[in-house]
Amino acid sequence: MKSFVCLAVLFIFLVAGCAHSPARTDSETQSGSASSTSKAKTTTETSADLSGTPASPGNKSANTDEYDDEMEEEGEATTIADPLEPFNRAMYHFNDKLYFWMLKPVAKGYGEVVPEKARISIKSFFSNLGFPIRFLSCLLQADFTGAATEAGRFSVNTLWGIGGLMDPAAGKELDLQKQDTDFGLTLASYGVGHGFYIVWPVLGPSSPRDSVDIAGVYFLDPASYITPWYYDAVTKSMKIVNNTSLSIGEYEALQKAAIDPYVAMRDAYIQYRLNKVKGKSGKTEKVKLQQPGKKEEKGK
Amino acid sequence: MLIFAVAGISTAGIFGPPQTVSREAGGLNTAIGYWHQQGNLTSVSEYTFRRNEIYSQVSYGGHNIWEVYGRIGVSDLKISDAFRSVNSATVTSGSDFTENWKLFGTLGAKGFLPVNEIFGLGAFLQVNYYFNNFTGDVTGTDAGVPFAADLKIQNMWDVNFGIGMQFTLPHKIKLYTGPYIYYAEAKANLSANIPGLEFGTGGVLLKNKAFAGGFIGADIPLAKGFHLNIEGRYSERLSLGAAVSYTY
Repeated sequence: MKSFVCLAVLFIFLVAGCAHSPARTDSETQSGSASSTSKAKTTTETSADLSGTPASPGNKSANTDEYDDEMEEEGEATTIADPLEPFNRAMYHFNDKLYFWMLKPVAKGYGEVVPEKARISIKSFFSNLGFPIRFLSCLLQADFTGAATEAGRFSVNTLWGIGGLMDPAAGKELDLQKQDTDFGLTLASYGVGHGFYIVWPVLGPSSPRDSVDIAGVYFLDPASYITPWYYDAVTKSMKIVNNTSLSIGEYEALQKAAIDPYVAMRDAYIQYRLNKVKGKSGKTEKVKLQQPGKKEEKGK
Repeated sequence: MLIFAVAGISTAGIFGPPQTVSREAGGLNTAIGYWHQQGNLTSVSEYTFRRNEIYSQVSYGGHNIWEVYGRIGVSDLKISDAFRSVNSATVTSGSDFTENWKLFGTLGAKGFLPVNEIFGLGAFLQVNYYFNNFTGDVTGTDAGVPFAADLKIQNMWDVNFGIGMQFTLPHKIKLYTGPYIYYAEAKANLSANIPGLEFGTGGVLLKNKAFAGGFIGADIPLAKGFHLNIEGRYSERLSLGAAVSYTY
C-alpha cells in the first residue's frame, strides 16, 4: 500500500513537472554561483517537450533532436525551474547539516579503519548489484549494445570478480565499461523534460523525471528485499557511508567556491544531468551513424 | 567405532598446473570450477559414491613460481545402495544416500621450478574441509515395524600432496601430470540401529582405502586473460573437472 502511494505521488510530480514551464525567478536573478549562474539563460521548453505523454521510441530520435537543438541554441548553462524554492532550501540545509554532522564524521572514521582498496572493492560490489537498473534502462532505451555490455560485465564480475568485489570487466583486455544510465535518462530519451527542481530530504537534489529513478532503484535493488527491514537499512547505510568516504572534499569544494551554495548545487545538478542526456543521445547518434546500410541521421 | 575404507572420498576440485597463471610481477587470478568425483566405499559390501562440486577460487601468485589459493564451493554427495538391507525382514523406501549442496572450503599452495623453457617441476599441498554435514533420511519397515532414521556424514576433510611435471607447448598451452598422495576422513552416524543396515549409532570412521593416485591436465590460454584448465584424476576410479580462470 505504501509503495503504491509513493508511486502515485511520484507520478503526480512527474506529470506536474513535465507540464510546468520553467521561468527565471527573482531569487535566481539576485543570487548566483561564481561558476554558472551568471551565464545561465532562461530555458523555454516547448509544449511538445513538456507533454506528459512520453514519446514513443519511434519518435525518440525526433524528440531527442529537438531537445538537442534547443540545447545547442541555449549554448551555455541552463537553469531549472524552482517553484518549490523555500521547501528546497529548507531541505538543502537539512541535508547539509546531515552531511556535516553525521555522514561526514562517520565516513571519515570508516575511512580511517577500512583501507581504500577495500572501500573501492565494496563500492564495486554495490555497483555490481545495480546491474538490473542499468540493464533495464539500456533495454528501455533500445541500447542493446549497452544492455549486452552490462550483461557481460555482470557475468564476468560476479563469476571472476569475487561476486563483484573486483571489476575485471573494466580492465584493458575486456574493456566492458559500466553504462552510465538510469531511468531518468530513459525518460529523457523519450523526450520527457526534467520538470522542476526538487530537493528530497536525505536523497538530495532531483527532479520529477529523475525521481522515477529513485523509485526504480528501490524496486530493482536486491538489497531492498532483505528481511527484516533493518538489515536492508544497514546495507544501504553502509553503501552510502562507503561511497561518501571515497569522495570527501568534493561537496566542500563546491560550497567553498559558491556565493550561494544552494544555487551552485542546483546549477551543478542540472548541468550534470544535461551532460548525461547529451552524452547518451550523442552515443546513440554515433552508434546509428556506424550502422551500415542505414541513412545518416541528423546529428550534431 | 567401525572403520570403512573409502577410495577417493574427498579431494575437492582440480589441482591445477604446477605453475601459477598469475602475472610474473605478482597478482591475483580468480576461477570458477566444476569437479565430478567417483570412488568406492568398501566394508562388508562395496558401495560407489559420486560427487559434483562447483566452486569459486581466488589465488595470488608471483614470479611464475609460487601461488597460494583459497576456494569456496558447494558439493553434493550420492552413495549408491547405502541403505541396502542385507536382511530380508528389513525393507527400506530407498537404497541411495543423497544430499545436495553443502559448503566446503579449500586452501592450497604450490611452487614451481622451471628447468628450461619447456619443462618444469612443481609441488603442491591442498587441504579441503566440508563445513556442513551430509544428511540423508531413510524410512522403511523392520519385520513389519516402521522406522525412520537419518545418516549423517560429518567432519569430512582431506589433505593432498603431489608433484607435477609440466610441459609448455606452443601457444603457451601447458600439459601437466604427476602422482599425488592423500589422506581423507569422515564420520558416518546413523540415528538408529536398524537390523540389516551396515551403518549404526556407534558411528563409522570413513578413511581412504587407496592413498595414492595420478593426475593429468592441460591449461589452455583463451582470449583476454582467460584460461581453460581441464584435469583428470585416477585413484581406483576416474574423476574429471574443469575450471575457467581469469588473470588480473
